[in-house]
Amino acid sequence: MTKFQSTLITRLPLVGAALLWAAFHAWILKYYFGFTWQVAGWDSFIYNLVIISGAVLLVLLLTYLPRTGIFQISIGLALLVATACQWIFGQAISAILPEVDYFEFMTQSMPIRWAFGIIALTSISVSSIYYSRWKESVEQQTRESDLATIAKDAELQKLQLQLQPHFLFNSLNSINALILVNPDEARKMIQELSEFLRLTIKRADEPWISLSKELEYLKTYLAIEKVRFGHRLDVILTIEEQSYSWSIPTLVLQPLVENAVKFGLYGTTGKISIELKANVNNDQLNIEITNPFDSDMQPSSGSGFGLSGLQRRLYLLYARNDLVKTNIHENIFTVNLTIPVKP
Amino acid sequence: MIKTILIDDEPLSREIIKSYLKKFPAIEVVEECNDGFEGVKSVQQHQPDLIFLDIQMPKINGFEMLELIQPMPGVIFITAFDEFALKAFEANAIDYLLKPVAEERFAKAIQKFLDSRLISGSAPTEAQTSDLLEKMAQSPAQNNRIVVKTGSKVKIIPVHEIQYLEADDDFVKIVTAEGIFLKNKTMAFYEQTLDTQQFVRVHRSYIIHISQITKIEPYQKETHMAILRGGQQIPISKTGYAKLKTILGL
Repeated sequence: MTKFQSTLITRLPLVGAALLWAAFHAWILKYYFGFTWQVAGWDSFIYNLVIISGAVLLVLLLTYLPRTGIFQISIGLALLVATACQWIFGQAISAILPEVDYFEFMTQSMPIRWAFGIIALTSISVSSIYYSRWKESVEQQTRESDLATIAKDAELQKLQLQLQPHFLFNSLNSINALILVNPDEARKMIQELSEFLRLTIKRADEPWISLSKELEYLKTYLAIEKVRFGHRLDVILTIEEQSYSWSIPTLVLQPLVENAVKFGLYGTTGKISIELKANVNNDQLNIEITNPFDSDMQPSSGSGFGLSGLQRRLYLLYARNDLVKTNIHENIFTVNLTIPVKP
Repeated sequence: MIKTILIDDEPLSREIIKSYLKKFPAIEVVEECNDGFEGVKSVQQHQPDLIFLDIQMPKINGFEMLELIQPMPGVIFITAFDEFALKAFEANAIDYLLKPVAEERFAKAIQKFLDSRLISGSAPTEAQTSDLLEKMAQSPAQNNRIVVKTGSKVKIIPVHEIQYLEADDDFVKIVTAEGIFLKNKTMAFYEQTLDTQQFVRVHRSYIIHISQITKIEPYQKETHMAILRGGQQIPISKTGYAKLKTILGL
């Protein structure tokens, strides 16, 4: 079934109600006022058509209006549209049904029609505002509950991510070797690793962190990787002054830098440099991370560098889908991350 | 003299193995390799008795490297943390070392290797190793690519680029737009390891990539013929046609 068909089916009761109402309208004209079916039908058809068109127009207009003072504006608009409908109906029906006795009836019934039009259109516009607000709040709620479930699911995964067993055991193995060949360096590495673990524990419960703190953390991480692969890892940081205090969600930058290391360092065998640039522009923090990678190699896990999870997290936090962009140019992989103001 | 090669991308990690090996003068390190590519070349050149093999390495991992070498030397696996591999090791009773590598544990592994040279049967058999490689081929790290050797070069074929596979004696022909590659495996192996939603064994000698099919035409009685995007005609057996029908939802 197409989307159009399914919308049509959900709207069917509404269409049915409108048709019933129009039939009722015609029936009253026939039995209480003694008009022929033809006259009653035309009156009902034209009047209800005009009112329904007015209502559709009103609902469409309301979606474009600012939220402040929307109730006052909508009532004013309903009055205006109802009056316009009244005039259009008058013009149309007198052209279609020029009979004298009907014309008399029509002029007499005008105030009632006008009142009905105002009531109908006002209630439709007010309820459409309430309906859209209710829909918005439901969306907001699903977003929040999704965020909560994801947070729970992520808890375990996060622990592993933070502890990073692979990284930890490899570092311990390096220390093991360094004790034999270069005890001073071993001591330094133990200190770096301790600092890294301390920061890991400290930030475990903090959902937000300043860029400067996050960079501090990443620097200890990179320092350890440098001991493991020092002969070929180079890290270049270009951070604009005002970026340092920007609040970013934890576990956003870290996986990106780890990816850069993973594909840059683990994926190739030559010397590599990883670049990280940050600046604030238009009230947004922009971060760019570039790393070389071996374009002949298929990434061993084809999950688009594991970026979809990050994308989803950012969507849940900021309700935006355009915050992570990646770009591959020859053998350089670039990630552009946009961090808006903390919501 | 026992010839050995160290294959690990971290120099420090090789350093510790070398220093532990000092206590075993009968074992000589003939080369150190930074990745699986170097490893394949070096094994071919030196024909070592034993290799120390790190699992997570640049380009191709340790298991993919093993798929490319023949004959298989003795292997001592070394890994930091790889749940998938550890499970496979345990299931196949294969010896492995965990990082950071402890000297006593290292000595035991060497002893086990030395014993196995004297008493045949105590080392993991060829079958055990190939079973291990089959398991690892299904791991998330490997199941989307196949590593082949063409001459002295190693090539990585992303699974989605495969058009079809064809049996060829003891080998399997892997056909892609780039050409034909031979892999020393069985059709059953690929039937097992490739994603069954994408690859169907339509015939005793053929596995096709479903997205490559453009047409299926009736052929002789009860058999069909698949026409691929590249124009190749692949025979489909009666049972193969039934399988294909369920997967395509016909």
